[in-house]
Amino acid sequence: MVVKRPELRKITPRIWELFWEEEPSSSLRNTRIGLKKWLENQYHSKLLEIRQGYQTISIVWKNEGPEDFYTSLPKCFNSEDLKPQTWEIPVCYGGKFGKDLDQLCKEKAITKENLIQIHSQSEYVLEFYGFLPGFMYLSGLHPDLISARKRIPDRKIDAGSVAIGGKQTGIYPLESPGGWHIIGKTPIQIFDKDQNPPVNPQPGDFIRFYPISEEEFDELSASSKTLGQS
Amino acid sequence: MIKDPASASILKTGPGTKIRDLGRNGMAEYGIAQAGPLDHLAYLWVNHLLRNHQDDAVLEITQPGFSIRFDAPTLICLAGAKAQVFLNGKEAGSSGLIPILEGSKLEIGNFESGSILYLGIKWGFRSPSLLGSRSYFTGISDQDFIKKGDFIPYFTNHETPIIQTSSQANWDYKYLSESTIRVYAGPEFYQLSESEKEEIMGLEFTISTLKNSMAIQLEESFPNQLSEIYTTPVYPGTVQLTPGGKLICLLSDAQVTGGYPRILQIHEDDIRILAQKKPNQKIRFLI
Repeated sequence: MVVKRPELRKITPRIWELFWEEEPSSSLRNTRIGLKKWLENQYHSKLLEIRQGYQTISIVWKNEGPEDFYTSLPKCFNSEDLKPQTWEIPVCYGGKFGKDLDQLCKEKAITKENLIQIHSQSEYVLEFYGFLPGFMYLSGLHPDLISARKRIPDRKIDAGSVAIGGKQTGIYPLESPGGWHIIGKTPIQIFDKDQNPPVNPQPGDFIRFYPISEEEFDELSASSKTLGQS
Repeated sequence: MIKDPASASILKTGPGTKIRDLGRNGMAEYGIAQAGPLDHLAYLWVNHLLRNHQDDAVLEITQPGFSIRFDAPTLICLAGAKAQVFLNGKEAGSSGLIPILEGSKLEIGNFESGSILYLGIKWGFRSPSLLGSRSYFTGISDQDFIKKGDFIPYFTNHETPIIQTSSQANWDYKYLSESTIRVYAGPEFYQLSESEKEEIMGLEFTISTLKNSMAIQLEESFPNQLSEIYTTPVYPGTVQLTPGGKLICLLSDAQVTGGYPRILQIHEDDIRILAQKKPNQKIRFLI
């Protein structure tokens, strides 16, 4: 699929966005991530930061953006340059760690084993971080697991909780309120405030979940590991 | 130059007091909020008068009823809201430099105008820096807010501070009573009809009680047919329009992404006008 040239939106003299009208897809993601890397190289000294959304790259300039910016953009990117890594994340599904799993299975009319199998055999892609420090927006949730967010959000969800909300699945990196259905918990830390950068997976990387027992959960949490650190 | 560790003890504080510096710029790609000062110019002014680095940490006070004692001489500076301030029981101004002696106690009473006051200190407060900033933020700093009994480190040179008259500039409180907020069209503004655009620009909005350092929700409802959008970046100063018709104005502790249409973006110099408002006060947008 060919990704069109993005539209440039100058929101303020310092905040600009490149926007793709088309629906999110893997080719759009690759183009977006490729362009982000290109911008970081090309405009390094002028950039305060770059942010991403599904259809957007936003550029916050230190001062004003350069006049010839739009014409300087490259025509296409080779997504083979991205070299994505795969990150495997252990999850203890259900029980005390996944309080909404049974209810979700009931709504979906599937067994617990089936839900765990579907969730852990899918391959997810990290689109970008947002919502909370270290929260990964993942695409790739199996259509059978799509589930509307709760009408009344939970006041407190534990850090490490793995959840499903709408068309997305994700991990709460910190304790937070939230409206997603909690299906399990990982003993691995995703976000480490004492490291810079505080997260290791990069946008474009693959994420896989694998089921573990409560005993394995306890063993792994005792070693308090951060994803990507040995 | 002598720079010895000293500390200030918090005798009393309302909710919401935080350590602030310029924040975690460049960290949004990891989902980390900027957490810079709510009133950027007042923040810069206190550090400027103190001849500090512009990234030196200050206290951001957002509620009346604050009291602090310093255990060694220093120089502090206040700016932002117009508030009742007492130094060792004697009335002092709420803007400008204040010399502090060993054991001096500073109290902040009612806020007459505005709702955010900065207390800067020579060389800045020395609380821990995490991910490039000392700004408090849930999940990053060790604590979310300053609380009674906290000790905040700073540096002292043990000398009685002398204020040079040349550094006594006046803080201009005029912006605290300003109600017009300059905005740019947000990326989803075009989804509104011409009459809806005119209506939003003509309406007077009321600050609701849903106000914190992440966002201010406006009281009035604005029924609309805008659809939710794919998760997209948002910024301090972004005004979102929810499907329920509420306008949410994001501030420096806001999330870095959102899913509501972004109808306006507040001019960076005017975010402080909004942030300084109290519930029930009125504002208008000017495009």
